[in-house]
Amino acid sequence: MKAQPPKRALQFLRWFCREDYLEEFEGDLIELFEKHFEASPKKARRKFFWGVMRSLRPGFTKAFYKVNYSITTAMFKNNLKVAWRNALRQPFFTFLNTSGLAIGMAGALIITLFLHDELSFDKMFADANRIYRVNIDNRTAGETNHFAAVSSPLANVMQSDFPQAEMITRLKVSNSILLKAVDAEQNVKEDYVAGADSTFFEMFGLKLLYGNSKNALQKPNSIVLTKTAALKHFDLDKALGQSMVLNNDEIYVVTGVMDDLPKNSFLRNHQVFISLSSFEDAKSLAWNTWSFPTFVKLSPTANEENLQVYLSTVKDRYLIPWAMTFMPGLTVESAKEMEKSSGDFMRFTPIALTDIHLHSPNIEDELSTNSDIQNVYILAAVGLFLIILACVNFMNLSTARSLKRAKEVGVRKTLGSSRSGLIKQFLTESTLVAFVALVLAIVIAAISLPYFNQLAGKAISIPLGNPLFWLALLGVSLVLGFGSGSYPAFLMSRFAPIKGMKGGDIKGNGGRTVINSLVVVQFAISLFLMLGTFVVFQQLNFIQNKDLGYQKDQVLIIDDVDATGKQIEAFKNQVKTIAQVENASLSSYLPTPSPRSATTLFPDKSLGSENALIIGSWDVDYDYLSTLGLELVAGRDFNREFATDSSAMILNESTAVLLGLSPEEAIGMRFTDDFHREDKENMRYFTVIGVVKNFHFETLRNSIDALSLTLGGKPKKMLVKLNAGDFSKGISELETVWKKFAPSQPFSYYFMDDSFNNTYDAEQRLGKIFVIFTSLSIFIACLGLFGLAAFNAEKRAKEISIRKVLGASIGQITYKLSIDFLKLVGLATIVSLPLAGYFMNRWLQDFSYRIEIPWWVYVLTAFMAVVISILTVSFQSTKAAMSSPIKALKQE
Amino acid sequence: MSEHSLGEFEELVLLLVAANNKEAYGVLILENLEEKLGKKVNVSAVHVALKRMENKGFVESSYGGITNERGGRRKKYYSITSLGKKVLDQQYEVRTSIYQQIPKISFGQ
Repeated sequence: MKAQPPKRALQFLRWFCREDYLEEFEGDLIELFEKHFEASPKKARRKFFWGVMRSLRPGFTKAFYKVNYSITTAMFKNNLKVAWRNALRQPFFTFLNTSGLAIGMAGALIITLFLHDELSFDKMFADANRIYRVNIDNRTAGETNHFAAVSSPLANVMQSDFPQAEMITRLKVSNSILLKAVDAEQNVKEDYVAGADSTFFEMFGLKLLYGNSKNALQKPNSIVLTKTAALKHFDLDKALGQSMVLNNDEIYVVTGVMDDLPKNSFLRNHQVFISLSSFEDAKSLAWNTWSFPTFVKLSPTANEENLQVYLSTVKDRYLIPWAMTFMPGLTVESAKEMEKSSGDFMRFTPIALTDIHLHSPNIEDELSTNSDIQNVYILAAVGLFLIILACVNFMNLSTARSLKRAKEVGVRKTLGSSRSGLIKQFLTESTLVAFVALVLAIVIAAISLPYFNQLAGKAISIPLGNPLFWLALLGVSLVLGFGSGSYPAFLMSRFAPIKGMKGGDIKGNGGRTVINSLVVVQFAISLFLMLGTFVVFQQLNFIQNKDLGYQKDQVLIIDDVDATGKQIEAFKNQVKTIAQVENASLSSYLPTPSPRSATTLFPDKSLGSENALIIGSWDVDYDYLSTLGLELVAGRDFNREFATDSSAMILNESTAVLLGLSPEEAIGMRFTDDFHREDKENMRYFTVIGVVKNFHFETLRNSIDALSLTLGGKPKKMLVKLNAGDFSKGISELETVWKKFAPSQPFSYYFMDDSFNNTYDAEQRLGKIFVIFTSLSIFIACLGLFGLAAFNAEKRAKEISIRKVLGASIGQITYKLSIDFLKLVGLATIVSLPLAGYFMNRWLQDFSYRIEIPWWVYVLTAFMAVVISILTVSFQSTKAAMSSPIKALKQE
Repeated sequence: MSEHSLGEFEELVLLLVAANNKEAYGVLILENLEEKLGKKVNVSAVHVALKRMENKGFVESSYGGITNERGGRRKKYYSITSLGKKVLDQQYEVRTSIYQQIPKISFGQ
């Protein structure tokens, strides 16, 4: 045994000494060491150490950059080369590996972009973090509702005694309008219109392209258009100061043109803003009509809590004193007492501007439809699943593949490769694949993004110009490469070289167990998504086919019928004469999305506030019930022959329940909404003549609210029930009649069932997105399984051949090769389905009307998983089983 | 001749290289030096001198074969170049010419 020089000192020398001197110095030092060692080992070591230390001088060290890089760079280059050659040697595996990872990454990338867009809502407005909206939470008779709009006087009250408010702006959701330049013939319909206070632009930091943002919305009959809306009528630079006709009635002046509003804002669709001073009710002092979304910008020193505290005082200080003026006996104390006993409440609550989009679902009177943070979570989970699946796949295939390279590892180790060197080599390989996959993923994402946008109703693009985006991508693919490469790397580098050299394959090692558990994880995730998809679709199907209590099929809705002016009745009668028309009714209110209104009613002679009934109130006409096929459970329909029906009222069942009466008992009751007047004896009363069976006029997320129907109002829509005949002929005849009565109006119509289906747009989209990503995940899982099966068959080629020679049938061999994988899939089923069932049940809780997940959905999911995996695996198994045994046995 | 300067220690090493031409390597030079000077020298001092003179072009070097000694590291053999020899000759000439100018000095014994 020769004396070994001190290891540390030698390492140190190697680290700092320039290469061209190293061998000489090392040799000399070692020779001296060996010579000294005879005499005194201790001294020899000390001398060696000193020799090393004395060699540490500027002339002998590596150039500074070389200290860290020289060897590493060379090895890195070599590793890359080896990785590349390896990839090319097994093109099939490389393809499976890379494409699986690329698809997973592309999916996750798209989801990330989508989520980023969702989370960015309303953050672009100036001081967005200081802006709050005041909502109303209201609970009546056990039913809690949230409203985005509040009473008109609130803004004024806050202005005067909430000094922490820097600025307050009210908006008002307006119905669609018809707009044209004074000298133009044809009207243009604008669906997204809002009234706005003059501080609106300053509040949100919006600039006008033309006009003065300070006073554009000050005077009544002022109108500000977005670029898109303005271009429909004028050249941009000429729009300012033009007069326009609104709804064929009033003259408005264009006082400003603004840029289109950002797509990720709560005002994204809005095209027209009208000065709030143009609306009569903007001056109203009534606290019981809620139609003004009110925004507050707090001063930088104030916080949400201040606002909350202030808002909690408003009711006692202003609302109840106002109500006391017409409700005898009402005091602040009695109101509180009543809230306590009934559990009902009505309160103002602040919501941060940036929370509106994701944190206030199911809110009424909202300016644009909101999303739900829950969907964000669900999609984030799906994205995460996808990435995990792809990584697992990658890991599995790399591990399986690397097991075949045991010989290579053995040789490398024998030649002196260190463990860390081997780990580096394997990591280089996996990172290389991850980077190639990244490039592919970006290409895939770029190609599929337009389709996804269409599906999700978004305008997302890949932020190619953003360095942060690239940095994140690079980081992620590095992490992915390292993460999924690390297992095979550590596994392979652990072998004793002789093992790898001898057998060429490692048996009984940890590799199989890990691969197997990863397959289980993969299939568990896929099964989870599959079950989720089934449930979402079941629920959608349930909603769409549920008996809604009214007939939505073959009902055509014509918009803006008020454009016919005083001839509206004549128009209706003419429509009824068309052969294809079964019935027609005029109203603004539909069971499908349409404006809603609520009113406060008091039963006859009992104006005590405890008797107040806040319920939905729809103006309809005589033909409404028959057109929609609404059924009466008690009493009768409106009838022209009863002159008194102008003050008749029909309630729905929910109202009767709210009153604690049977439908029959409700008939004949009298209600008033006229309680403000001084001369109480002249109050106007409605008499209940009928109770209509409950029908769904909210989405099935909500239960059915109380509702009252009365005659009259200013109908804006016509409901036309067509008979089963020729729809297109009916529609063209309708248009002819329309042209006669409203020649300058666009004829705009839609079918009620389409509108109904649109209500479930969010769910439908979610469903479709679910399907896409579920398919992707299953595809990825199958890719992995396919690769593993191929690998397995290849590895066991000799065994298969021997079995065949000894008389095994193809069927037996296929079975033998497939059963292992099927067991894993079976295990995944057992793990995954209960979990998926639990989570999907929680999702369903959001719907008032929902399905129970039927047992066969579970069975179907499990069955499909098994079928898919059998198909995937058996292809490889059969191929292996059918190959000629001599081929595998010959090679040695 | 300042660029061809030769320090005292360097001169000694160069002499030893010349003396053991093509056979001189670090340890050999070190041992010879220690023997002649009768004191301990650190091997890195020899390395420094060798490398400096190699840069100046006084010596050149080449690797020997692999042996079982020295933990399998090759020896690096140094030989003197013609420039090295010239410098050495000049140095020697300068010294002898001055030396010869020394008058006979006798130190009383």
